[in-house]
Amino acid sequence: MDDYKFLFKVVLVGNAGVGKTCLVRRFTQGLFPPGQGATIGVDFMIKTVEVGNEKVKLQIWDTAGQERFRSITQSYYRSAHALILVYDISSQPTFDCLPDWLREIEEYASNKVLRILVGNKIDREDREIPADVGEEFAERHNMYYLETSAKESDNVEKLFMQIAEDLMKQARTRDLPRYDSNNQTLDGKTSTISDSSCCSRLQ
Amino acid sequence: MRRHMLVGGAARRLIGPFLGSPEGRPFPPNNNNNPFERSLRQLSGAGALPQLTKDRYPQVKRRDFAELNEKHLGYFKNLLGENRVITDKDECQGFNIDWLKSVRGYSQCILKPKTTQEVSEILKFCNDNRIAVCPQGGNTGLVGGSVPVFDEVVLWTGLMNDIISLDENSGVLVCQSGCILENLENFADERDLMIPLDLGAKGSCHIGGNISTNAGGLRLLRYGNLHGSVLGVEAVKADGEVIDCTSALKKDNTGYHLKHLFIGSEGTLGVVTKVAIQCPPKPRALNVAFLGLESFDDVLACLRQAKRQLGEILSSCELIDNPSLDAVTSHLNLKSPISVYPFYMLIETHGSSCDHDEEKMHGFLESCMSDGLVRDGTTTNEIGKMKAIWELRESITEGLLHDGYVFKYDISLPTREFYSLVPVMRERVKDAVRVCGYGHLGDGNIHLQVTLKEFNEEVLRIIEPFIYEYTAKLRGSVSAEHGVGFRKPKYIHYSKSPGAINLMKQLKVMMDPKGILNPYKVIP
Repeated sequence: MDDYKFLFKVVLVGNAGVGKTCLVRRFTQGLFPPGQGATIGVDFMIKTVEVGNEKVKLQIWDTAGQERFRSITQSYYRSAHALILVYDISSQPTFDCLPDWLREIEEYASNKVLRILVGNKIDREDREIPADVGEEFAERHNMYYLETSAKESDNVEKLFMQIAEDLMKQARTRDLPRYDSNNQTLDGKTSTISDSSCCSRLQ
Repeated sequence: MRRHMLVGGAARRLIGPFLGSPEGRPFPPNNNNNPFERSLRQLSGAGALPQLTKDRYPQVKRRDFAELNEKHLGYFKNLLGENRVITDKDECQGFNIDWLKSVRGYSQCILKPKTTQEVSEILKFCNDNRIAVCPQGGNTGLVGGSVPVFDEVVLWTGLMNDIISLDENSGVLVCQSGCILENLENFADERDLMIPLDLGAKGSCHIGGNISTNAGGLRLLRYGNLHGSVLGVEAVKADGEVIDCTSALKKDNTGYHLKHLFIGSEGTLGVVTKVAIQCPPKPRALNVAFLGLESFDDVLACLRQAKRQLGEILSSCELIDNPSLDAVTSHLNLKSPISVYPFYMLIETHGSSCDHDEEKMHGFLESCMSDGLVRDGTTTNEIGKMKAIWELRESITEGLLHDGYVFKYDISLPTREFYSLVPVMRERVKDAVRVCGYGHLGDGNIHLQVTLKEFNEEVLRIIEPFIYEYTAKLRGSVSAEHGVGFRKPKYIHYSKSPGAINLMKQLKVMMDPKGILNPYKVIP
């Protein structure tokens, strides 16, 4: 097993077609795959980065944005250290859906999770959402804000490195949500299932 | 209701249809349940027939069986009617050649019984007259076990295709042995059950053949092998006596468990005519993950995690090495969902609750990534993508054929050694186009393949018997799920002790003293 100091789980969410997979591929492989099909289910990969001479592993979960493939449930959010909520700056509908995504995040994710709002596709000339509108939305919801272009590789590295640095800081101050997926024991609990009226009749 | 169907057995059907041979080469569509039309078409299209077995293997001598005469044919025609006794040379052809086109007999008589009683009368007559018989089902075997070596009469089970009963409480299905596996699957599916056996050849293979060869398949890991799920068998001995072991009971310890003699004995001890098989409920939740790994040690660690964390829902755990996947992506134009790694694992779960299974799958993936075992992967429960992922695994056999000639080996090894044979073989066969391994990691069963531009006798001698000696040294099996058939009796000693082989011979003599049932097969 290789040697690393921290391991963080980063989950990307947002509408279909906003460029989540492209952001991940750009960051992990340095590629911009054009004409990518929709993600179905969840893709996951590991990327090791260095922050201040220390190795940090990012476990990146790239989810499907399409309603009918939205297989991502509770379990994916619950153990996330950072959530990247992505919209497309040239598509108003993807911005309008942000409150829906936030509701889901509120419901499932830890309240200590690091939340980043990303306006992607700044290489496009048909912008519909001005940067200050995005920033204002992020501020109101207590999120970091960043605009990126997976295509031109703008701010992509910065996005993930910023997350790694921030999470490291949090971890050092022990402010990180802790969980351990392997920590299951057989000390179960027993609940009695009965219909009380029926029981009282028997007594 | 429709949605529910899609998540259950229909998904299995959707995932399966492109499967072909037990390893996955697709068969042409076979809608009329008559494999011989298909065979004839293939033969006429393909031109060259395989060499007659008697010429290719001159050391195998025809035993002292009767030559078929008019009197014999008269008896059969009287018993079955003209239409169910095939003597036309062209019509016989498809029954004489195996699926791999590696062997060819010259039987001039195909019998098509419909009932156990007819099978019994055929065998009694053949035994009395010393006529050799080759039982045949869907003819999808890979070791030449289902076609005649010389002129044995072929007893084809295809008309014995009645489904007799299905008890929806116990899940026990009773049917005749000539039912096509896929038809049984569809029948069970409509009743929210499944057949505990799934293999590529399901569109053609008969359940009787599956049982006679103890077929394995893709989900043996979860549903066990046929010695467990087949509750009862009715078989006819060489002398025509019907042995009824069709108990439909899960527990029945009265005397010797004779049904096991007919499971995997490849038609040499009796002809299976009826089957009772236990069908589990069909899963309501399916999940598939496709993972990229750096080393075989990581693969082993991942397998242990999968068993521990996915536990009872784990239904398949397959390994694919990079050269195997490359055969599919470069020759068949299929796309891998993840980047290139030395090893890939395909993991599938069958369960009864989507949320529960997904949570487990997620927990498993997360710990694999945290431990650094899995570098890249994808998971889904969407039917189209699950199908696309399975297709990568199922198309390997077909992809390899594009390399040229393929030497195929089906070997069981201790899990620790599962992959060890591949690098060793790669070192030995330097001229190979490709040496690759893939298969049922969860069951310790690897399909090792060596491909060449064309067949080469010298290379064969480099591979064999070395591969069998190597397997024997590690206490593996030289035939994991394909059986012995005609092509492997001389290698059986690598996996079975002299005492065991001797007892097999004694059993054969006792149950078939004249040796008329599927001669020249299995027993060395």
